[in-house]
Amino acid sequence: MGVRRLDFGLYGSRHGRDFDAGRICEVSMPGAAVGEIISVPWMPHELLEDQSSAVDAMAEAVDALSGVSAVGLGSLLAVVGSRGEALASRVDVPITTGAAATSWAAIENTLQVLDWTGEKSVALLGFSGTVGETVAAGLKRAGVEVTATGRGRALARRAEEMGVGFTSIQEGVSSHKVVVGAGTTGSVVEPQWMQTNSVLVDVALPSSLKKGERPTGLLILAGEAMDLPKGWRRGFWGRIYHLLAGYGPHQIYACLAEPMVMAAHGIDEPFAQGRKLSLEKVDVFSEAAQDLGLEARLASGWKSVEKKHFAHIQGGVG
Amino acid sequence: MIHPPHPRDPAIFGVVQDAFAEALGLDLDEVEYESKIIEDLGAESLDLLDIVFRLERAFDIKIPRGGIESAARDGLEEGEAYEVNGVLTALGIEKLAEAMPEVPRAEFREGLKVAEVPLLFRVATFCRLVCHLIESKGRQSA
Repeated sequence: MGVRRLDFGLYGSRHGRDFDAGRICEVSMPGAAVGEIISVPWMPHELLEDQSSAVDAMAEAVDALSGVSAVGLGSLLAVVGSRGEALASRVDVPITTGAAATSWAAIENTLQVLDWTGEKSVALLGFSGTVGETVAAGLKRAGVEVTATGRGRALARRAEEMGVGFTSIQEGVSSHKVVVGAGTTGSVVEPQWMQTNSVLVDVALPSSLKKGERPTGLLILAGEAMDLPKGWRRGFWGRIYHLLAGYGPHQIYACLAEPMVMAAHGIDEPFAQGRKLSLEKVDVFSEAAQDLGLEARLASGWKSVEKKHFAHIQGGVG
Repeated sequence: MIHPPHPRDPAIFGVVQDAFAEALGLDLDEVEYESKIIEDLGAESLDLLDIVFRLERAFDIKIPRGGIESAARDGLEEGEAYEVNGVLTALGIEKLAEAMPEVPRAEFREGLKVAEVPLLFRVATFCRLVCHLIESKGRQSA
């Protein structure tokens, strides 16, 4: 289980460029799993412009590790190279992208919001993407009335097949008090489309909301947040990294936990890889995560939110 | 004389069709030459990345980001503007239409935004792009 130390300077120059992976910090859930956060220090445009070399770099990083039982991909590394599939074909260790954990946290957090507000329906952004589609399916299964938003015949057909509503982003957002932003394209919602005293469960980056004056009483929540696992160790640099990465002192993004959960339970089947993600995979993650005491966390920025923060939304008029 | 590849050539379209089907989780027969990739096939931005990656590997080519827009901009003379504040100029629309002959001219409407250009993309757009890059690569090798 777990990832062991690796040293700087292990990597040579390839493809005419210096490549160096960096060990950011060790993270661990005592008695469960130990991990390391590794950086592949390429700029986003470099990753996007040369995905093949990006996959080469990731494969080098994975090959240099020993004794690991799972590798998780974060940020753009979870996107390039067919969302982990190209890397998985090159290495012998399971590769998982974090989409199952993100979907799980988003579903749990949204259900909590609905419970505390008394609302029964949501508008969902990002239905065309992996997490968005999975979150829609998960909420529908839980009895939520879901209206997917987007455009195009293909999405409309997909929504109909799933048994959820479908409308434009503007129409969906303006007619629901609870909006789930699970899209991969940010800045798709004009603030004035949101109702007053409404909630935006914004899942991961980029932010769904455009810049602008926000309606009164709008509560924006980090949809993919998880409570910092009990006993989670991260060292000094880990704390710095957590803060700089926007996690805040008391929470992490759920996707970070995905490889840790795999390692802790000895699961060698990735939770998420490629475009498709089934609810069954999310369920497996959910059970495994909760077995380790992991919980989704409703947070606005770094602060956790409680039922009292939704008082102005319950039964309010938009 | 070696003839340049044709976008509808099964060796081209078949591979492009397969890339779209694999990336989007669709059946092959759902991916048609004229299919609009967003409207008809439901592709989103991350899917385009995946499709580009698959095509680059399949054809051993390099697809530059914004390649189609670049082709349109390359057709402009110095001082001519392709867009102003994110909205294509009349000249920009004209050049884009030239770069995308597979798209009906009526879809290049006045006021078209740069961000809306991907909505015009067809599977045929990628077939043409692949052919262009294969041909360019062949010329460079010659």
